[in-house]
Amino acid sequence: MNKLIVTNNSLVFEKYCNHCGVIYLKDAGYLDVLYAVRDRIHQSYVLLTHPLAGSLKPNQTPYKSIIITRGEAGVDTDSVVLIENSIAAAQKFLRDRNTPSWSEKILGDFRTVDLSLIENAMQKRSFN
Amino acid sequence: MKLELGKILIQDVQFGAKTEVVDRTLFVNKEEIIELVLEDDRLIGADVELARPGESVRIAPVKDVIEPRVKVTGGGVLFPGMINKVEQVGSGRTHALVGATVITCGRIVGFQEGLIDMSGPAAKYCPFSETNNVVLVIEPADNLETHDYETAGRLAGLKVAAYIGEAGKNIEPDEVVVYETKPLLEQALQYPDLPKIGYVHMLQSQGLLHDTYYYGVDAKQLVPTFMYPTEIMDGAIVSGNCVAPCDKVTTFHHLNNPIIEDLFARHGKDLNFMGVVLTNENVFLADKDRSSDMTAKLCEFFGFEGVIISEEGYGNPDTDLMMNCQKVSQKGIKVVLITDEFPGRDGKSQSLADTVDEADALVSCGNGNVIINFPPMEKVIGTLDFVETMIGGYEGSLKPDGSIEAELQIVIASTIANGYNKLAARGH
Repeated sequence: MNKLIVTNNSLVFEKYCNHCGVIYLKDAGYLDVLYAVRDRIHQSYVLLTHPLAGSLKPNQTPYKSIIITRGEAGVDTDSVVLIENSIAAAQKFLRDRNTPSWSEKILGDFRTVDLSLIENAMQKRSFN
Repeated sequence: MKLELGKILIQDVQFGAKTEVVDRTLFVNKEEIIELVLEDDRLIGADVELARPGESVRIAPVKDVIEPRVKVTGGGVLFPGMINKVEQVGSGRTHALVGATVITCGRIVGFQEGLIDMSGPAAKYCPFSETNNVVLVIEPADNLETHDYETAGRLAGLKVAAYIGEAGKNIEPDEVVVYETKPLLEQALQYPDLPKIGYVHMLQSQGLLHDTYYYGVDAKQLVPTFMYPTEIMDGAIVSGNCVAPCDKVTTFHHLNNPIIEDLFARHGKDLNFMGVVLTNENVFLADKDRSSDMTAKLCEFFGFEGVIISEEGYGNPDTDLMMNCQKVSQKGIKVVLITDEFPGRDGKSQSLADTVDEADALVSCGNGNVIINFPPMEKVIGTLDFVETMIGGYEGSLKPDGSIEAELQIVIASTIANGYNKLAARGH
């Protein structure tokens, strides 16, 4: 299965850019990553990881990495529902309060945790 | 499997020359605790502070909370697979220092750690404002990698709780409660006319600072399995210092799981408590499919007629919660869910990130988005440096006088999704 990672986290990009496809959305926000994934779901991609993976709230961490893969022709409705629910949940938090301008130290912590979530998913040998 | 839990009530904590329990006061030897913590060379500094109910004390950032316990008889030792060898626990006799805790605190990846106030208006949201707390403030070696620091902090808390628990080994408990679950077929026959009820316990298992351990096994690696309820009371499940402060299931909450406690309280009266199915909350959707399939299969196989499901965390775990709900319901089993809610400040948005039609019975443990104010405290154990970066905090949360304005979710266990909190609705 060809995995494609959509991320705005430089650590994820650096670690996996030579292993699988990575769409690196440098300087993009959390929601931008979800939108990019949504667009690809409508081009026959299927979600492999949960879009809200990590229980950090969408207005806390600026980083988001999601793994998708190309599915069969047509649109996977389960993926559509999940990404739309996730976008609605993220918008809810960001409407109340925007993600703060964190210090570089804290941004580094958020990148580390986001990478950890993806590392655990990437270690899986079988995905079906 | 049968466990006698001896409850030794602790009403005060003091420093002393020897770690011991005398007339409901826990004395702790500070130097011995520090020595124990610094055996781990990943930690270069440790201090011990005491925090009692009613004191003007704020503790932050809190990583884990652990109740001191000790195995007296029955084989195995506390926290098997973590700080002790792997051996079956959950039978025989265990003593607990009820009313005392060990709290780990100190710099870490800061945002998922929260606050405990020992007095004032915010104290009422947190069960640990009512316990006598031995607070362990730890300091990592320079440039220690985040995962290693998390591990070192977690193990330090467990070791100190086990060390303090030893003080209760030869004390006559104030109360002894007996819990027993028989092997499946015998248990079904014991109360043949009562509904057979199971508990599906979802363990946080997403990655760094989102983990849980069962007999030392990272819950990410589990496929759903059966557990006798008493195993959890001996520390078979340990927190990996998880998720948001408000719904963090600390090791204390595993040892004192209120769902298990309440199911036992009604066992043989109006229900037959059959046991616990453990499952996880992985990030991979294929894992969610597999785990929810197996959870439903186990519930059916064990003959459960009704099931309570609890989750840990928000967002990703909501999907596991709903998949479990749907698949267990489709087996013809009645399901009640327990969770907390994040409906936004105005309370008008969806409370959970996912839902299914079968989710028609749900107990709420509160809204984590509510804003509360914390007055300044005379003493801070740990540091307030991270308040604005904690979940629930925000830029401007910490005022110059030390007071705080933040969302309720910054308070440890304030909306914990198993009901061990102050916001649960109660019928009268």
